[in-house]
This record gives sequence, structure tokens and C-alpha cells, in this order.
Amino acid sequence: MAEAKEEPRIGVFICHCGTNIAGSLSIEEVMEYAKTLPGVIVADEYQYMCSTPGQKKIVEAIAEHNLNGIVVAACSPRLHEPTFRTATQEGGLNKFRFEMANIRDQNSWVHMHDWEGATAKAKDQVRIAVAKARMLEDLIPKSVPVEHSALVLGGGVGGMQAALDLAGAGIKTYLIEKSPSIGGRMSQLDKTFPTLDCSQCILTPKMVDVGRHPNIELYTYAEVENVEGYIGNFTVTIRKKARGVLSPDEAEARGIIGGGCNGCGDCAEVCPVIKPNPFEFGMAPRKAIYIYHPQVMPLQFTVDFDSCVKCGLCVEACGEEKKAIDLDMVDTFEEVKVGTCILAIGYDLIPIEEKTEWGYKRYDNVITGLEFERLICASGPTGGKLIRPSDGQIPKKVGFVLCAGSRDNTGGVAKPYCSRFCCMYSLKHAHQIMEKIPGAVPYIFYMDIRSFGKMYEEFYYRIQNEGAKFIRGRVANILEDPSTKNLTVFTEDTLLGRPLSLEMDMVVLAAAIQPKPEAERIRQMFGVSKSQDGWLLEAHPKLNPCGTTTAGIYLAGVCQGPKDIPDTVAQAEGAASAASIPIHTGEVQLEPYFAICMDDLCAGCGMCVPQCPYGALALVEKNGRQVMEVTEAKCKGCGTCGGFCPGGAIKMQHFTSPQICAQIDAFLLEGGEQ
Amino acid sequence: MAGNMHQYAFFLGCIAPNRYPGCEAAAIKTSEKVGIELLPLKGAGCCPAPGAFGAIDLNVWYALAARNIVLAEQMNMDIALICNGCYKSIWEVNHILKHNDELRDGVNEVLKEVDMEFKGSIDVWHLAELYYDEKICGAKKLAASVTRPLTGTKIAVHYGCHLMKPGKERHFGDTEHPMWIDELVAALGAEPVQYRNKMQCCGAGGGVRGYDITHALDITNEKMINIREVGADAITEVCPFCQLQFDRGQIEIEEKFGQTYNIPVLHFNELLGLAQGMSPQELALDLHGIDCKPFLEKIL
Repeated sequence: MAEAKEEPRIGVFICHCGTNIAGSLSIEEVMEYAKTLPGVIVADEYQYMCSTPGQKKIVEAIAEHNLNGIVVAACSPRLHEPTFRTATQEGGLNKFRFEMANIRDQNSWVHMHDWEGATAKAKDQVRIAVAKARMLEDLIPKSVPVEHSALVLGGGVGGMQAALDLAGAGIKTYLIEKSPSIGGRMSQLDKTFPTLDCSQCILTPKMVDVGRHPNIELYTYAEVENVEGYIGNFTVTIRKKARGVLSPDEAEARGIIGGGCNGCGDCAEVCPVIKPNPFEFGMAPRKAIYIYHPQVMPLQFTVDFDSCVKCGLCVEACGEEKKAIDLDMVDTFEEVKVGTCILAIGYDLIPIEEKTEWGYKRYDNVITGLEFERLICASGPTGGKLIRPSDGQIPKKVGFVLCAGSRDNTGGVAKPYCSRFCCMYSLKHAHQIMEKIPGAVPYIFYMDIRSFGKMYEEFYYRIQNEGAKFIRGRVANILEDPSTKNLTVFTEDTLLGRPLSLEMDMVVLAAAIQPKPEAERIRQMFGVSKSQDGWLLEAHPKLNPCGTTTAGIYLAGVCQGPKDIPDTVAQAEGAASAASIPIHTGEVQLEPYFAICMDDLCAGCGMCVPQCPYGALALVEKNGRQVMEVTEAKCKGCGTCGGFCPGGAIKMQHFTSPQICAQIDAFLLEGGEQ
Repeated sequence: MAGNMHQYAFFLGCIAPNRYPGCEAAAIKTSEKVGIELLPLKGAGCCPAPGAFGAIDLNVWYALAARNIVLAEQMNMDIALICNGCYKSIWEVNHILKHNDELRDGVNEVLKEVDMEFKGSIDVWHLAELYYDEKICGAKKLAASVTRPLTGTKIAVHYGCHLMKPGKERHFGDTEHPMWIDELVAALGAEPVQYRNKMQCCGAGGGVRGYDITHALDITNEKMINIREVGADAITEVCPFCQLQFDRGQIEIEEKFGQTYNIPVLHFNELLGLAQGMSPQELALDLHGIDCKPFLEKIL
């Protein structure tokens, strides 16, 4: 390089972290060793480097010794790098003149009982960090402007809450829901634990608010087709699925003044096609032109084109005034620009019939918890009268199988995790049958009762006192008596230490939950990782539970992991708050780790372009020849292109080849020169 | 390969040749008619019994089972067998040793003393599995070999635990409600009947028969009640030990609990032998504890 580099003047600070580090290796020895390293002017140690006095040491040392590089050997940069960068900046240096050596998580914690070895390793780590610190350069973070709008994917209670909060904060919000109505799983529930509020009663006001809010643009029966861009500037393509029915606004756009669907239902009246209603899990009929239930939002019918015979009776019934039905409708696409996105895409039950020992789908009277919700619900297929599917009789003895597929390591569809709300909803179900059916006895087959929330344990006691029977043990299998359709539940009572078989009129499986099948496609579109079980992965389980590793994308609700309604709403509010910060700030700072193409070395071969996982690279015309250009805001600094470039024309800032080579040399040559 | 015959090393086990020789005879004679040739596995020992040996010392169980597998490896042939207990030992040990290097090395250390080495070069099959396998035989081919269909008989199928469990280590799909042996029984012209708690244990396995005969018979008795309820003319299984428990067990139940069933119990091989025209004498049905005459009268 042409410009003369200044002489390196490094300060090294070793942290005790209480006894986390100091209890497993010699701080003194590492500090004395650091003083001998080339370029190190000063080395110091402190009990807690992250504390105010610790940071002050850095600031003072910079002034006193005119330092131009700082190394802190402490915990993980994921935890405290921002802290020490700020201290470095306060001392008057560029904050990227700081390098961290992780001698805690990667050393003292794993070599807790090897004092000599851990000390030697810490010396290596400090030597490597100093080698890089000697070559650090000033970097200037870039800012990009942020679009004043947000997108929320999923119209369940989480998505609705997030959208309402964003809209309430004055942000234009696009709420996308793939089914014809918002409301999600919560609208399928009858009552909510532990207060026994009616689910629809507390949900419909929110649904109405969403429908009415001037800042919310609601897209029902729509899916996200494509996502481009980066934080502050996402371009999202929305597929509006062919609904076959026009809303009043859509009708007006076609010049039908005062037309469009008003939800009167004349069309469904005359429709000759009858299909099972998926909202009722097939336990009730619906027509080929339908609404799920009376309280849908928006109140607009939908044509199921898979079963519609296009007889045109509905068009006739709708009439010339409204002209709401168009049976030749096709999918349309719309692009919106947003600053941030929230994913709230919910969950599904596992296919519990694959746990064949319980006979779901083989025995009429084995149902899932969600089906029970519909059967006990006043607006459900039976008007709230709980009957057993086989013969319509009222069940007196109802078994509840908890952990049906949850906390189960047997593989297949079984899940190792706890689904978190099944204990509580089964207690609620037990209460409901005792309340509605005189003499009914619920038998709850449980492993543990996890009543973890506010007033949950009290609810558990209440159900015990009401007379529910609790049997601790996993249900081995269920047999049906072919003549009576009664079910014999074989289980063990681990408290009595004996096997048990009990005859039931009906069995409800508290089936485990799993991510939706489309979660995989959505996650890849938005660049979100997944955890081992397929749930979307948060940036940090404790300290950043709403964010993801992709800037500008946030999570809410069960798609991030099992949780009940209160937790979903809380997370949705958190996600909305997090998603509104960049929007209200108006600009976001990007870490300056992006790749830089050195034009005079670039041959314009373009081999780097398809390598980039973020689509940040492109070939452009410059000074009459083709060279690569980096879109800095998209670049995550992963280094794939830099490692791939055959001409070495790509510089990865903060991770340059000379810096990395110096680190490798420092390790292999033990501080000797090349 | 001799012509178009599928050849297998035939692992006999202990109970079939010693207590129900008809199973052994039927296996060899019936399989020939559907293109399967069973060759003697010379020098084979006990499988060894999974309950009796496995419960005492797993390492002994691994080593003895591996020795039987090595004999077949030396013949360069897959093993075919006719007993669920043998299946549990030989198939499962083969499966475990193929997937666990540490165990395999330990077993090979022991086998070295008799100049043997487990290589993991063969597979293990239950003969019933081969009968059901479309690539080898299949229900259609089995049906085509029938000369004396068992029309008009109701037969209760018992699968047996060691064949189907543990489910996650087996390859039979739904181990809670299997129907494949029922399909084979239907291929012989009989009607497989469904009875309550079909997948319940016969009561014998896992050392229970040896350890606590009353408890074992109690379980068997419950199965017998359910089988009688659906009017079965006979019970069939693919395991001589289950057969022993149902067959001799009925006599013991009569002695201990005073309940009489007299439902004949035939191994699937014996049933297939009858359907292919073998005589009751050839199948040594007179050695059964429960008289098979009522059943034979229905088909002969």
C-alpha cells in the first residue's frame, strides 16, 4: 500500500469476569505476556471490564499513551463488543479500532479444570487479537433511509396486535392473511383459560379495529409471493388470490357504484355445491361460495374455485345492483414498499393419526383438542351441544390425553418439546364438560401439569376441586369396542405404580403443535433461520426474542415457538415496538463490514455474483469496462465472494486478507516473524 | 442362485424343530413352491433367546447372535427364519452391530477366539416377510400356489411383539395396526377376523413364561377370551413360542383357571402347508396340544 501506516500503539485489557475467567486461568501471567507482544504499549487487568470503571480504563489509556488500537480479552463479542466499541470511541478513536479475544466462553468455561492449558490458550488468543489490532483501519458506518411503512404476515391474534400497534404509532401497515378472514386460530376457540372469557368476544373487537383502522391496509385471501431488498427498503410482492367476489372498493374501481359484496348470503343460499367446512374441521357443511363463520372480517364471501361448478346461480342471486360475483377472476399481484416486516404465521397440529396407538381418524370418538373447541362452541356445528361423533349421544366419561405427541422422543411425528398450552386448554375442557353435562366426569391422563402463567395454578386447583380425575401416566393405547364405539384407554398410574384400563365414551387428544408447512418457504423468502424443531429462530432467546438475524425482520406468536395467547400478544407488541424503531428513526446504520470491489483488480468475470447468498453483487459498466459492484446495504459481510474471487479483487472490510493472515501467522509462528 | 430360486440360509431356532417339527417341514416344503430355497445353516446355535439371554447379559446376547450371522456371512447368503424371538435376536443384533462400531469391535474381539469376524454383509428376514415381499414372492404368488383353499374358515392372526416392536427400529410401517399377515391369510382363502386388543402380547415372551407362568397364562387367557368372542376357528401366528403359549397354554389354562377354549393353533407355515395340499401327518399336527381335527374337518 502506498500510504505509510502509522506505528501501532496497542492497549490490552484482561478481564477477570469475577471468577468466570480468573478462577480458571492466570490473569497476571496473560497480562505480563501481553506486554511483551510487538506493538503493545500498555497492558492492564480489571475485575469487570464492562463496568463503568473498566470502560474508563480504556478511555484514560487512550489519552495517556496515545493508543491507536484496543484489545479486550473477556467474554463474547456477541455480548459486549458494542460496550467496548463505545468506550473506544469515547477515548477519541474510531470504534472499529477495537478487537476482542473471547477468553471466557471459548476458554475458561470449557477448560475450567485445566489452569495451565487455559492460561496458555489465553496467551494464544491475546496474541492473535493483538496481531489483528495492529492492522485495523478506521471504518465509517453507512446510513440508509427507511420506508415509513411495515408489513405484517399472518392475521391471527399476534399479527392483528402487531398491525394495530404499528398503525397506532402512525405507520402505514400492510396486513397479509392467506385465508378469507382474519382471526386465526383464536377465532376457532370457544373459551380462553383461565378466565373463561369467550374467545370470539375478546377477539372480534380487535378484528373490527383492524378492519376500520385508517393506517392498516388489509389483504385477506392473499400470500406473499416474493421479497426483495433489505432493512428500510423491502419490496414485497403480494399475490391476491382469485376470490371470485368483489369488495365494495373493488366494485367501485370497476365502475359499479354502490356495488360489491355486502355479506347478505343470497349467493350461498342458491349454491348447489356442498363441501366440508375446514374451519369446523369438516364437521359442518359449507357451499362452494362461503364465509367461514358469521363473524368474519372482512364480511365478504369467497368462491372455492376447486369445487365451484360455475353454474352461475350465485351471480343471478347477487343481482345487477351489487354485481359482486365474478367467476372469471384470476390471481393478481401487487408490490408494496416497506421498512420492516413482522412474521406471525402461526402453527398447525401434528398429524396425530400417525401416532396410531390412539386411533385418531380410525375411531369415531377420538377427537383433537381443536375439534373439541368447535363441538363445545355455541357457534360451532352442534350449537355448543357436546355430542360424540359416532352416535350423537352425550358423553359422560371423557378422557383427555395430554402430551399427545409432545415431550415425546420416539421420532416420527412426535415432538421433543412441550407445546405449552395443551395442559391449560385440557383443564378448561374438563371444566366445560362438568359445567355443561350433569354427571360428566373428565379423566385427565397427564405426565406433568404445566400451569405456569398468572392465575393458571389457581385454575388448576379449581378444576381439581370441581371433581376432574387426574391420572399420571402416558396413555399406551386406546381400543374401540366395535359394537358400542366406546373406547378403552390403557395407561399406567405412575403414582399407584400399576397399569390401568378405563372405558371412556370419548377421548380428546391434546395434540402437539408444529410449524406450518409453508413456514419453510416464507422463512427462506425473508431470510430467517429456523431452530432444530422448525420454528422460526429469534436473534437471541432472552435478549432479542422478537428480532431475527436478518435486520428488519421480526417475529411474533407461535411461529417462533409454542406459546399461549397472552404470550403471543405480548410478543406481538414487542415485535411491533422493535419494528417501529428503525421507521421512526428514519434511517438505519449498517455495520461497515461490506465487501469492496477494487476496480483496478476486477476482471469483470462475474463469478462472484451467483455466490452471494444475499444478492448484493452485480456487474456494472465503469470507465468503459465491466466491474462488480456491491450494494452495501444488502451485504452482510459473510466473505463468500471475497474467498471466491480468482483475482483477489474483493476486500472484506474489517476481515481483510492481510488481517486474517496476520492472525494465522501469530498463532502458528507463536509471535515470531515470518 | 439356482435357476430363478431365491436362496436363503435357514435359521431354525430351537422351539420349531423340538416342539413343532411341522413348522420346520412346512417352511422348507412350502417355500420351494413359491421360488424360495432354504438351505441349512450348519453349526447354528441358539439365537439366543432375547428375553432369557438379553435380560441377563446383553454382551453374551450380541456375541452369540453375531456368531449365527457370521455363519450365514460365510455362506454369502441372507438369513431367513420362522420365529419372532429369533427375529428379535438375529435381525436386531445385525441391525445394531451395523450401526454401532464400538459394539461391533467388542463383539469381534470375542469372535476372534473362534476365528470369526462379523462383517455386516448380509440382511435378516422373517420368512413371512419374504412371502409378503412383492420382489420375492408376494400375496398373489402365494395365492397361486394354493391347491386346497381354506375357504369358510375364520382365522385370528397374532403378530407377536418381537416381530413388530420396538416400532422405531422395525421396517413394518404401522406397528400398532398391521394388516400384512391378515392379507397373507386371506390369500389362502380364509377369512382373517379382527378381535379386540389384537396386538396384545401372547404372554410368553421376555422370559415371563419361564418366570411367572400364572401371570403369563393370565395374559394368554385374556387374548383367548377376545379371540373366542369373534368366533375364530383357529389362531395363526409366525412364532413357535407364541404357538407354544397359545397351544400348550390352553391346556394349562384349563388346569389352572378351569376355562376351556379348544381353538386350534397353527403356525402360518402349517396353514400354508395345508393350503398347498400337505397332509396333517406331514405337518405333524398330531403333536399339537389342542386337537386340530375340528379345523381340518372344515377344509379337508
